Amino acid sequence: MTKRTRYFMAVSAGIMVVGLGSGLVAFYGGGFPSLSASRSGPSELSYVPADSAVVAFANVREVMDSQLRQRIKQAFPDERGQKEFQERTGIDIERDIDYIVAAMTTPGAGGLKSNPNGLVVARGRFNVTQLETLAREHGGVVEEYKGKRLVKGSDGNGDRAHSVALAFLEPGLVGIGSEAAIKSAIDAQLTAHSITANNEMMELITGFEAGNAWAVGRFDAIVGQANLPVEVTSRIPPIKTFAVMTHIDGGLSGTLRAETRDDPSAENLRQVVQGLLALGRMSNDPKATALLNSLQLSGSGRTVSLAFSVPSEVFDLLPGIRKEMGGGRLPEQLPKELKQLHESK
Amino acid sequence: MAIPSRTPGYLPSALRVFDLSVGEMLWSRRTIFMGLIVGAPVLIAIVLRLLDTLGLPVFQVNGMQVAGPTVFGMMIWFFYLRFTIPVLGVFYGTSLIADEVEDKTITYLFTRPVPKGAVLLGKYLAYMACTVFVVLPSVVIVYLCVVPMRGSLGGSFLDLLKDLTLLVIGLAVYGAVFAVIGARFKRPLLVGLIFIFGWEQVALAFPGYLKRFTVAYYLQALVPHAMPNDNIVSLIQSFFRENPTLPEALFWLFAIMLGFLWIAAVSVERKEYVLEQ
Repeated sequence: MTKRTRYFMAVSAGIMVVGLGSGLVAFYGGGFPSLSASRSGPSELSYVPADSAVVAFANVREVMDSQLRQRIKQAFPDERGQKEFQERTGIDIERDIDYIVAAMTTPGAGGLKSNPNGLVVARGRFNVTQLETLAREHGGVVEEYKGKRLVKGSDGNGDRAHSVALAFLEPGLVGIGSEAAIKSAIDAQLTAHSITANNEMMELITGFEAGNAWAVGRFDAIVGQANLPVEVTSRIPPIKTFAVMTHIDGGLSGTLRAETRDDPSAENLRQVVQGLLALGRMSNDPKATALLNSLQLSGSGRTVSLAFSVPSEVFDLLPGIRKEMGGGRLPEQLPKELKQLHESK
Repeated sequence: MAIPSRTPGYLPSALRVFDLSVGEMLWSRRTIFMGLIVGAPVLIAIVLRLLDTLGLPVFQVNGMQVAGPTVFGMMIWFFYLRFTIPVLGVFYGTSLIADEVEDKTITYLFTRPVPKGAVLLGKYLAYMACTVFVVLPSVVIVYLCVVPMRGSLGGSFLDLLKDLTLLVIGLAVYGAVFAVIGARFKRPLLVGLIFIFGWEQVALAFPGYLKRFTVAYYLQALVPHAMPNDNIVSLIQSFFRENPTLPEALFWLFAIMLGFLWIAAVSVERKEYVLEQ
């Protein structure tokens, strides 16, 4: 073997050692986030555990500022849930939160049947002292977990085993959820074993840059938590994963995408949806027709995709909103079917 | 007093021939061709990475973003498994002995006190070294460039190991098969090309037992990625695809490799090579 051959083999072996070494370090160490080109999704995904079954995102600021939200707020001013949340946590959803990332992991030993290790990570402006004080007033206990401040509450019955925890993850970032979920989130971020290392979920998340709210996940996790009877679950199509993206401004538009286990299942599901759409159109209800006309079914292979675009005028037909608007003249852009409905009344 | 000469053993002889042949094989004109074949996916990976870094939608299929690991799997399938490995096997495997015959240098090898089969084995080991040290680094470079795009190096590391093992096995088995073709047939390159682009494609497309007489049938069972349908032929093949189990596939691949190597060695031992004047 000549020297030139030996050098060539040494260089080849060196390339392989570098590549395999990088892969090995990434495998055991949790990855190189800085090397990921054009990563999708918010950076807070690093707090979502890799085994999360469902991941969701909502740009709370955009949703709250949207025309649709303003209309609904005017029509339904009673926001009891929001007030209760503020009383318990001191966080005003309307003002303090910019966006949230939520996740649901599969129920573990510490998970509740009704809320199996749910987690919400919120980015915004939070008064840490005020939140801590409020939590202590409600019986919360403050502790440290791997350098993060954790406030553990109780579920109202004094049962700490099923408690909700609030964690101050970073300046301007809080996590709310079960204690197990919060600790998993902190572990995920520290070890880089987060959802960003889960290729299957990240493939679902990519491509949702345009929406201000989305949710992706394993469909079986949703069905499992719904506690549906066996007669219903046996009839649900074999959907593997789902992905929903919505954009809320004046109206509501978005896409619902489902991936089935195989092509025949997807074809069957498309036919079922088409049948339901046709059935809906037969109902002769202008409201339903207007809504159904906004639905577009598509997809190929194992994917079934349903796009929807509900204009803001459709929401005018909601009883509360109609009453708020005083039942006056309808907007000019209203579709013919809706005008006919108004005239018939 | 004459010192009794001892011929070196089979393996040491093979290693001596390997040492002699690896440099010749690596710096031959065939390696330029091999460099072009394995360089193409590396170049494509680098270009795609650059374009993706600039924010261009390079990995969109039907409006959906495709993650880097999926693209890596597709590149392994299209570039390496279905083309590079069989083609390198044909071009190098068929020429193990044929090149020596064509250059009329086989006499020098056969007049040495080494078993003729060891010559073939040494050449085969040189072929494996050349191809492994060229193909595998290119796969690793593609992995480093493509996978981090909407994916993670750690998440795809096990797939990389499986792919590398799969490619080594593919090179070994195809090399053994074409070594036999090179040792026994007059126009081995033509026969080899007909085998991989003719016989294997047809046999895989038809239902029944014919596919068991191909290397691709067992090799494809080892692929960790989903096998895409790249054309009508592979679509038809997918209809009749019955993958063997992993142990079965490994068993038959090693059996094919060892069996064909043995046949090639025996062929070389028994055949009288007539050099054209």
